[in-house]
Amino acid sequence: MDIFDNLLLGLAVALQPINIVYLLIGTMVGMFVGIIPGFGPSAGLAILLPVTFGMEPTGAVMMLAAIYYGSMYGGTITSILLNTPGESATVASTFDGYPLAQQGRAGPALVMQAVASFIGGTIGVILITLLAPLFAQVARSFGPPEFFMLIMMGLLMLVVMIGENWRLGVISTLIGFALGTVGVDLETGSQRFTFGSAELIEGIDFIPIAIGLFGLGELYYSFYEGLHAKGSGGIIQYQKEKRFWPDLRDWIDTRFAMLRGSLLGFVIGVLPGAGATIASLMAYSVEKAASKTPERFGKGMMAGLAGPEAANNAASSGAMVPLLTLGIPGSGSTAVLLAAFLLWGLQPGPLLMAQNPEFAWGLIASMYLGNVALLAINIFAIPLFVLMIRLPYRILAPGVILICTIGTYAVHGSIIEVWLMFIAGLVGFLMKLYGFSPAATVLALVLGPMAEETLRQTLTISRGSAMIFIERGVSLTILLVMVAIVLAAAALRLSRTRARAAGSAPAVGS
Amino acid sequence: MRIAFSLAILCVAAFYTSVAFGGLPFLSSAGRLGPGFFPRIIGLSLVAFTLYNLYFDLKRRNREEPLTPFWSTTLVVALLSALFIVGLELLGGLLAMMAFMLVSLFVLNRRQPVVNALISIFLPIGIYVVFSVWLRAGLPEGLLPLPI
Repeated sequence: MDIFDNLLLGLAVALQPINIVYLLIGTMVGMFVGIIPGFGPSAGLAILLPVTFGMEPTGAVMMLAAIYYGSMYGGTITSILLNTPGESATVASTFDGYPLAQQGRAGPALVMQAVASFIGGTIGVILITLLAPLFAQVARSFGPPEFFMLIMMGLLMLVVMIGENWRLGVISTLIGFALGTVGVDLETGSQRFTFGSAELIEGIDFIPIAIGLFGLGELYYSFYEGLHAKGSGGIIQYQKEKRFWPDLRDWIDTRFAMLRGSLLGFVIGVLPGAGATIASLMAYSVEKAASKTPERFGKGMMAGLAGPEAANNAASSGAMVPLLTLGIPGSGSTAVLLAAFLLWGLQPGPLLMAQNPEFAWGLIASMYLGNVALLAINIFAIPLFVLMIRLPYRILAPGVILICTIGTYAVHGSIIEVWLMFIAGLVGFLMKLYGFSPAATVLALVLGPMAEETLRQTLTISRGSAMIFIERGVSLTILLVMVAIVLAAAALRLSRTRARAAGSAPAVGS
Repeated sequence: MRIAFSLAILCVAAFYTSVAFGGLPFLSSAGRLGPGFFPRIIGLSLVAFTLYNLYFDLKRRNREEPLTPFWSTTLVVALLSALFIVGLELLGGLLAMMAFMLVSLFVLNRRQPVVNALISIFLPIGIYVVFSVWLRAGLPEGLLPLPI
């Protein structure tokens, strides 16, 4: 079957009435998750994962994926109207989005972000449609050494992106790996770190940890930052503006920004560990560099809003490529999606598209429909989301704790897992407070068993020699990419240190 | 606090490593890599990196940022979350949810008692319907002999 036939098959699955309902619920929930400051897609996905247990797998994953990419749309509304990004991937949208709103152009900015998000998301899905089968085909030749190196590259990227606190990223990753070793060792049947507890024999479940670290941890941190004490008084009244739609000048100014942002965002999204935040910030820098009037950036340039918006949506599509074709998530959000796949017995990887075409192509086709739905919702349901923004955090937060707790209990009916979620929440709060990376911990927890298995298989194949990683072409390439990433990060750090030193040194002759 | 957190991680890491070396064999009885192989690598790396990080923490111990004025609210919310879990075991799902919402909203949103009361009744009922009736997940029944 060629791509077109597969896509038709996927559309037939996605257009089933019940799946359309799940998709629309997912897009609305994603928007809502996106507009709540301090509450990213990872938290939204982790908390709502238990709600999907009674559903049919394809519809459930479509809904979760819609929450994921829908949150990218939602986060920008608060960036524009309140100068508060709903989540980190929409930080760049505050740079020009809020100044536009201050100038009485909130309506055009809101429409433009919706259109840019739609274009970024749709270009991203088109690229998934074209590239995912190729990725899957290449990945079929991968063995344990290649998969081990890919996992290491994903985690390395995540650690490098943390920046100066990279050692905290490494510790976060190692904690996730350590948690992943609890339970029965599948190769020998020995129990590890169970200390006689029957509850730990099957290992530490991913869901309580993810809900705790992402959900409760973020919530406690938001309280610590005083989000509950802030009102929504500063929200810009876009309804009073004369013009709601962008004018011709806006469309002309942003036509290439959207395209550039989409392509850049997709490429960055495919790279494990990079993600939508980096994509949107890079897109902003690219637009500023490409502009004939860079001095106007930060003062209300439409291209400074459209580029990052297209990029963060295309990145969320791009992140689905390694997840679907390699079974390797690149971020906390896609790690939760992977957990959802595994819960329904679906093993993402090179064979997913061949063995479960209805599921894989149904998911891809649903992303086309989801982006169309989000465009319409974004433009016509803005008043509804503005109402949601007005809902005070002090009222919202106890409801979130309720859903986190009951959702965790609903998975296995275990109160011990609820306590585990609570402890993970406290640890998640402290990790966020001191610069650790809960996302790296969750990612390592999910990938840890696979990393251990592939490493042991690799060393068994090579009779204990690590030279196998150099002798095989693909693993050597990945290794060289990893070395390049480390060297580039070190060079960047060195140049920043030098620049800082030069800036603080007294000027010659002064 | 930062140093205390790093020290806590170091203690857990040291314990993990000691179990990995003391209780888990490096090789299996068949001569293959055993259950202790990976945990030993992880444990040693975790201890090494935590010590390295602790060194930096100690170096900048005088530059630690002060707590925000909202730390006490955070502590109260965390305590309420813990009490809610205890309540789930004692009162069962629905009543514990209602009690938790009522107390939390009373603490966080004192100016709107009517709104608080309405949310405390209807949100738990909504969650009960979603999880217990729609998803048939089953909520905790509680130890006390209550009708719900």
